[in-house]
Amino acid sequence: MAAASSSDSDSGRAESNEASSKWLDAHYDPMANIHTFSSCLALADLHGDGEYKLVVGDLGPGGQHPRLKVLKGPTVLTESPLPALPAAAATFLMEQHEPRTPALALASGPCVYVYKNLRPYFKFSLPQLPPNPLEQDLWNQAKEDRIDPLTLKEMLEGIREKAEVPLSVQSLRFLQLELSEMEAFVSQHKSRSIKRQTVITTMTTLKKNLADEDAVSCLVLGTENKELLVLDPEAFTILAKMSLPSVPVFLEVSGQFDVEFRLAAACRNGNVYILRRDSKHPKYCIELSAQPVGLVRVHKVLVVGSTQESLHGFTHKGRKLWTVQMPASILTMNLLEQRSRGLQAVMAGLANGEVRIYHDKALLNVIRTPDAVTSLCFGRYGREDNTLIITTRGGGLIIKILKRTAVFVEAGGVVGPPPAQAMKLSVPRKTRLYVDQTLREREAGTAMHRTFQTDLHLLRLRAARAYVRALESSLNPVSVTAREPLKLHAVVQGLGPTFKLTLHLQNTSAARPILGLLVCFLYNEVLYALPRAFFKVPLLVPGLIYPLETFVESLSDKGISDIIKVLVLREGQSAPLLSAHINMPVSEGLAAA
Amino acid sequence: MGLLDRLSGLLGLKKKEVHVLCLGLDNSGKTTIINKLKPSNAQSQDIVPTIGFSIEKFKSSSLSFTVFDMSGQGRYRNLWEHYYKEGQAIIFVIDSSDRLRMVVAKEELDTLLNHPDIKHRRIPILFFANKMDLRDAVTSVKVSQLLCLENIKDKPWHICASDAIKGEGLQEGVDWLQDQIQAVKT
Ligand SMILES: Nc1nc2c(ncn2[C@@H]2O[C@H](COP(=O)(O)OP(=O)(O)O)[C@@H](O)[C@H]2O)c(=O)[nH]1
Ligand SMILES: [Mg+2]
Repeated sequence: MAAASSSDSDSGRAESNEASSKWLDAHYDPMANIHTFSSCLALADLHGDGEYKLVVGDLGPGGQHPRLKVLKGPTVLTESPLPALPAAAATFLMEQHEPRTPALALASGPCVYVYKNLRPYFKFSLPQLPPNPLEQDLWNQAKEDRIDPLTLKEMLEGIREKAEVPLSVQSLRFLQLELSEMEAFVSQHKSRSIKRQTVITTMTTLKKNLADEDAVSCLVLGTENKELLVLDPEAFTILAKMSLPSVPVFLEVSGQFDVEFRLAAACRNGNVYILRRDSKHPKYCIELSAQPVGLVRVHKVLVVGSTQESLHGFTHKGRKLWTVQMPASILTMNLLEQRSRGLQAVMAGLANGEVRIYHDKALLNVIRTPDAVTSLCFGRYGREDNTLIITTRGGGLIIKILKRTAVFVEAGGVVGPPPAQAMKLSVPRKTRLYVDQTLREREAGTAMHRTFQTDLHLLRLRAARAYVRALESSLNPVSVTAREPLKLHAVVQGLGPTFKLTLHLQNTSAARPILGLLVCFLYNEVLYALPRAFFKVPLLVPGLIYPLETFVESLSDKGISDIIKVLVLREGQSAPLLSAHINMPVSEGLAAA
Repeated sequence: MGLLDRLSGLLGLKKKEVHVLCLGLDNSGKTTIINKLKPSNAQSQDIVPTIGFSIEKFKSSSLSFTVFDMSGQGRYRNLWEHYYKEGQAIIFVIDSSDRLRMVVAKEELDTLLNHPDIKHRRIPILFFANKMDLRDAVTSVKVSQLLCLENIKDKPWHICASDAIKGEGLQEGVDWLQDQIQAVKT
């Protein structure tokens, strides 16, 4: 028994110990020499003795020696070599009558090998495709020794480069050979007519006409030729053929062939196509921004794993529901179904050795293994429901059994909409007034807008008129006439009764100095006394500010203040250039003092 | 029968009745073992998987056993605890050839030993390391290691290798159980 081969934890907890784990470690063999993918694993009661076996389409170390292995418990029961690398393994019921032991189907190269009671029963081969006539012609010439192997190689390479119809396996193998081996290969193969056959890329099962757990099922094949084929369960004839825009690599089906079914195919072009019973071509298309690495259907949600380290959930019409990010690349995916609790979840095997289990986007559990996880399979094994089979990159086999009492719970924070969505906005209360106002606005919107615009225009007109009047009478402190552009700014300092009045006069022209200006004060002589009410302004150099100071004596002791007008005049002109009204402050000192 | 029973009881001949729970995973051989312990005329020929539980009776030299043969299938295992109170002894059967599920057997045994109705009682437990005739069966010593039986300190226990089909090893176990029960009663 493996002591600490692996551990698991819930999403909430960082660490977990033996007692809190949901899994029992039934078996761990790091050297089991099993090299496979989830699609090549299947669990079934192959002998009808109630003891479920594990079928493994094994690629062999380095993909060198493909084998079909059947395991009973932790040990390999039977093992037989395969002619080509396995693409998928599936178990299915072929016929209705007893004994209802499932048959085993193994897709490899262009064939499906069907076994019953673990004995070879039938071999289905994909139909032949017409060969490339140019290629055929070349081999005919080679047969008559009209061309040597080297020319043959060059010509075939030319065809491979540009031809629409791909080369046959025979030609492809020939092109891989070393110069020394070519002669022998040609003389051995030249008399055979070339055959072209596509290969199977993926396989799954589809119920024929009943939805029952143990109903007769059809095999569904995906081929390198961008086609999907549905085979008859007993006769292995092709019942239906559908074409896809790309090569299918993962399939998910639901429904029954004779009634209604839905087929999702994740393809090499990064799209997932969804087909229905009556559609010869895809009905919906999901465009992933990366390559798919797995496809699992959980109830009605299609879960796709992508090379961008993420899982995406889609509806069966291709609408995206959610995305979750993984901490490492996804290497494999499969379905976890805990029947006793009616739970379906997705398992994702990662390159960092984790197996993550998700229900929609909520993380339920994390299992840590010592190596990158290459395949996953969950179901009844031996006599125990809820057994998890994990294989790792180094050829390891891990078997875990879910505890009878284990319940997967979603970690609090992750589920549901983000918290911001639950926050209440302070929408104003719908009072009677508010409602009436809204109604009025809705009904008389145009009229209200017009009235507002009229008022606005009137206001603008009035402002413009006042401005013009001010300009005409030079009642403002800024003169904008071309000859004397001036700016005046006055400051009153002091508490009284004597104030200091400073006028800041600036010539705002760019270059022209101004000469011959006069300043004149107009004031109530009962209230104020100024030493000079009239004086000449010196030459104003452009840009500089000239302070002109004068004292103002407040004569009244009654706390009265008045306006002093400042006029800037040009010598010999009666109209002022500019004027300013200075609001004098109230004198706070005593006039008598 | 009733009259005879009562008569032998009056004469002090009546055997003491004990309630025994027979537990273990499904397919470990519980029903087969109990069937074998019954008098040969009462034995049934076909053993089918037990649903829920069944009550069987058999006698040893001095005791009369009433055995609750519990189903070991996962979905029935939560029924076991309802009978713990009534049990005066436990027979726990293990399929020695099912290496994969040894962990499950251990888990169920641990749950049993930690149950409030069992935990503080000196209830005798007899283990049958059954199916010892099968090729991939492990020894009873290995079984007791895998189940960590040495950790059971406060209850008398005993493990026997058995072959329920031939009936081997069963008598040894029942004799031990009878001794234990009588030791408690007297
Ligand atoms: N070879 C072998 N088979 C056994 C033994 N004991 C029981 N079996 C078989 O194991 C299967 C399950 O037995 P059963 O008594 O129904 O197990 P239960 O579920 O624990 O009651 C039956 O097919 C029995 O024939 C044994 O000691 N050796
Ligand atoms: Mg039984």
